[in-house]
Amino acid sequence: MTSVGTDVDRVDGPEKTTGRARYSADRVLPDMAYAHVVLSTIGKGRIRAMNTDAAAGAPGVLRVYTPFQPLKLYPPPPGYGETYAVLQDRDIRFRGQVIGLVVARTFEQAREAAALVTTEYDAQQPSTSLAAGSPGVTAPDQGQGAPPAKFAVLAPGVTSIDQALAASEVTVQGTYTQGSQHHVAMEPHATVAVWQDGHLTAYCGAQMPQVHAVSLAAQLGVEADRVRVLSPYVGGAFGSRVATWPDIALASAAALDLDRPVKLVLAREQVFTMVGHRPAVSQTVRLGASADGVLNAVSHKSDVAMPMPTVGSWVMVPAQDTSGALYKTPNLAIDQRVVPLDMPPTWAMRGPNEAPGGFAIETAMDELAVSLRMDPLRLRLRNYATTAAGTGRPWSSKHLRECYETGAERFGWSSRPRSGTVDGQWLVGTGMATAIYPAARFPAAVRVRFRDDGTAVVASATADIGTGAVTLLSICGSDALGIPLSRVEPRLGDSALPPGAPAVGSAGAGSTAPVIRSAAQAAITALIDLAVTHPDSPFYGMTADQVRYHDGYLDAGAGRSMGFARLLKLTGTAGVEATANGGPGPEAGQYAFHSFGAHFCEVRGNRFTGEPRVSRFTTVVDIGTVVNAQATRSQIVGSVIFGIGHALLEVDPLEDSGRLAAGNLGDYLVPVNADIPDIDVHWLDIPDTVYSPFGARGVGELATVGSAAAIGNAIHDATGIRVRDLPITLDKLLG
Amino acid sequence: MHAYDFAAPRSIRSAIDRAGGESAYLAGGTTLVDLMKLEVMTPSRVVDINRLPLKGIRVDGNGLRLGALERMSDVARHPGVRSRYPVVAQALELSASQQLRNMASMGGNLLQRTRCGYFRDTSTPCNKRLPGSGCAALTGENRTHAILGTSDSCVATHPSDVAVALVALDAQVELYGPHGRRSLPLGDFYRLPGNTPHLENHLLPRELITGITVPSLSWARHSGYLKVRDRQSYEFALTSAAVALDVSGGVVREARVAVGGVGTRPWRLPAVEQALVGRRTTEAAYEQAVAHAADGARPLAHNAFKPELLRRTLVRALTTVGEL
Ligand SMILES: Cc1cc2nc3c(=O)[nH]c(=O)nc-3n(C[C@H](O)[C@H](O)[C@H](O)COP(=O)(O)OP(=O)(O)OC[C@H]3O[C@@H](n4cnc5c(N)ncnc54)[C@H](O)[C@@H]3O)c2cc1C
Repeated sequence: MTSVGTDVDRVDGPEKTTGRARYSADRVLPDMAYAHVVLSTIGKGRIRAMNTDAAAGAPGVLRVYTPFQPLKLYPPPPGYGETYAVLQDRDIRFRGQVIGLVVARTFEQAREAAALVTTEYDAQQPSTSLAAGSPGVTAPDQGQGAPPAKFAVLAPGVTSIDQALAASEVTVQGTYTQGSQHHVAMEPHATVAVWQDGHLTAYCGAQMPQVHAVSLAAQLGVEADRVRVLSPYVGGAFGSRVATWPDIALASAAALDLDRPVKLVLAREQVFTMVGHRPAVSQTVRLGASADGVLNAVSHKSDVAMPMPTVGSWVMVPAQDTSGALYKTPNLAIDQRVVPLDMPPTWAMRGPNEAPGGFAIETAMDELAVSLRMDPLRLRLRNYATTAAGTGRPWSSKHLRECYETGAERFGWSSRPRSGTVDGQWLVGTGMATAIYPAARFPAAVRVRFRDDGTAVVASATADIGTGAVTLLSICGSDALGIPLSRVEPRLGDSALPPGAPAVGSAGAGSTAPVIRSAAQAAITALIDLAVTHPDSPFYGMTADQVRYHDGYLDAGAGRSMGFARLLKLTGTAGVEATANGGPGPEAGQYAFHSFGAHFCEVRGNRFTGEPRVSRFTTVVDIGTVVNAQATRSQIVGSVIFGIGHALLEVDPLEDSGRLAAGNLGDYLVPVNADIPDIDVHWLDIPDTVYSPFGARGVGELATVGSAAAIGNAIHDATGIRVRDLPITLDKLLG
Repeated sequence: MHAYDFAAPRSIRSAIDRAGGESAYLAGGTTLVDLMKLEVMTPSRVVDINRLPLKGIRVDGNGLRLGALERMSDVARHPGVRSRYPVVAQALELSASQQLRNMASMGGNLLQRTRCGYFRDTSTPCNKRLPGSGCAALTGENRTHAILGTSDSCVATHPSDVAVALVALDAQVELYGPHGRRSLPLGDFYRLPGNTPHLENHLLPRELITGITVPSLSWARHSGYLKVRDRQSYEFALTSAAVALDVSGGVVREARVAVGGVGTRPWRLPAVEQALVGRRTTEAAYEQAVAHAADGARPLAHNAFKPELLRRTLVRALTTVGEL
């Protein structure tokens, strides 16, 4: 009767589709004031003067904060986001930085007044060119067990990767570039902050509510236990709600200063510069192989644009979990660099290293297949890895070969149209690529509580960023307790709950599911303990091993069975609960952990005007146990759509002035329905019990990796044109 | 957005009386409200014209007449428009989104403002928004900008799709102002930017567009609109072409051709129309006819592909319509 692995509708679906779900910006509190930010309009320099008189005198305005009349704020703890605090100095680090906050009685008044603030600057020329700054400096160390940003594994007797390449019978080399990209989650960043008795409650979108609370407390200079972050509904994140951006602390500090709740909802344009984005990156991949396609050398270098150290960011390392793990090769060299620029903050975005990295290596593999005149699928099978090239470790579980085979069959790879097939006005081509994504496991705590109304609460301070995590709590709770989904009450998105797994790295489900099982087991033990020790219990006096729990009942055989609700009522107990902790064990140091997949697609390019359109897509993945089939399909479809955007549409050029030129949803193009074909999705559902006893590795990001390469490879197949600079727009295909 | 006065008169006369100074008429609001939020348009008074009797779609022997307040979606759906002027219906259906077309009016469409990112961002110079402040697009991101009819002051395209179709069909705009009625060919209604890019058309202060007329053209049944863009839907044109062909015996007798996405106003190509006359309806013949379509183009750093794309857009549109 378990629903694990079946199609389960979201338990919060009706709330979301009927508008009853209250997202952060939907909160309306008594006496609430509204804030609007003022952003810098130069790319680098210093504020000379600001005139806030008109704004301060505008109708409804309560206060105008600037570096001249600041709110006291501190930088977030190192690694939690930016390295500075807004409003504390007059430096302009990037264009679109917060330089003011206007708080008024209504949203309209705050916005109107914000437009009345004028600023004089001493401007400097920002440095904005990734190409001019390349090659950059070796990326900072990722710490804790992460491979170094630069390393090489060479075969005995080989002295350098260049030597290995030179000794290869066939080599290909390509430089792959892409500009800035944005998460553009549907919900713009929004905060409602309210203080009571020296304690702050902040309603805001958070991928890790507790980390948000810690960071926010540090920015406000208060103890962490005085801050509670509530994030029950999140309108998408994709990495944009891992760090706290200045909006949350600004709203919270203003609420304290004005002694009333404050709401701050960023305008869409403001999200583009205030929230870290995926930076531009240039990657060079060199492959050396024998004439029959056996890899001898893989070299992957990257230069990533980075607003370090003045702004701060997360460090992109695109090669290590792609080229570092995908193929068997005796010689491997990885060299990941950063180029410091004056630009808005950058951050991890869905498939943060692997989506860009996968585009580079999987395009290069296609270039190798073309130059070998070899089926690109055969080339990949020929170089199939059974240990990770970078670390030499075996995988906890790897069924990529089945992904290739199943995908090829579903797509009809062997009977695909020949290169350069023409269908009316359209050139038709096919392409494929591999998906890979590291399977991290994080420590997590889960509390399970039996209640006397027959329901059970499953609670953990993880987040549901639109992925279906709250439904996962229900499914796993129902599975572990043997009660229907409707009798499980899932709770997350609250920093006051037991420390949950972060909703990052596709690891929320994988980290939480096994701990729900342990917590359920612990709660069952506590329930049996109550049953045998409470004098009002019919099981009183028995030993614990005489009472079994199954499907919501305690059972001592011979017809002595009772539902837990009745037991709790008889004993006058409101609830029985237990909290369990779980996390990676010693296996973490012995195995490589990745999820895998194979993409196959067909693309049509117009033979007159060039525009490429994806017409068919098949993705098969190996992610371990599947918890919710419906949510899994949605994640994979969504990831492929990310790949379509990555390949064909998404870019925000950084101008010489430091201005992001497409910082709005009119100019920053994400795929619309018409861009998306039917996406055929399949998974293998083979449990990875080395990763965790539950066996589920997670699926959120995997299919964003390689999907763009599959599309680019199909475009090459259709048109004969290899585009190495994303997005692949029609002007690059006019020939 | 600033506070503003609001009026919703019931007659054309009183609408004109209420207008003046820094006022703006409000139809569907899909351009006006958007630009007010961005502080690009800052009227002190908004005169809502939605109660005015400016509706009606008429298709008869004289041609087509569209009231200025007809919604894009209603025009696109009209059976007479679809069968006799497919180029108009297609241009509309390839515009914006269904939701926007349900709000947006035909009059407002003709007066929509450019999508140039610098025009829409008050923190950058723009001669169209703030005369004399300069043009950031000349040296900035200009992949989507115009190559025809540009000046050193402005390289912004006129974004309307349906205006391109209407210009190809010799449409007229009917106007009503303080000094009475008049009408102008739509092709002459728009101005080139020159060094006054803030003056976009010949509408007089307080004047209203009341309707659009298209003269009867029997072979407009053989017409079509092609829109080329990065995204399959919900995006403005990189290039577009409105084409109508009068073909008999595999030979073009007459043609109408106008293009969008490339000009500072909807761009009619009379030389291409002439060059098509007498040619066979083959791809090779079309290629010859459009060879000079982009003559005089002034490409910028990021849109150097547009002249070639324009020619190919035309060949594709002609091929498609020629096969009808
Ligand atoms: C996201 C988006 C995508 C779009 N995509 C496209 C597209 O692909 N192709 C395309 O062609 N268009 C597109 N548009 C533009 C859209 O078609 C126009 O905004 C719309 O047609 C304007 O009509 P409206 O009635 O809403 O005008 P309003 O916004 O009400 O008015 C626009 C202007 O015209 C004036 N005005 C309106 N009616 C009259 C009148 N009768 N007499 C005198 N002045 C008047 C107003 O004062 C204002 O200055 C898009 C718009 C948006 C927001």
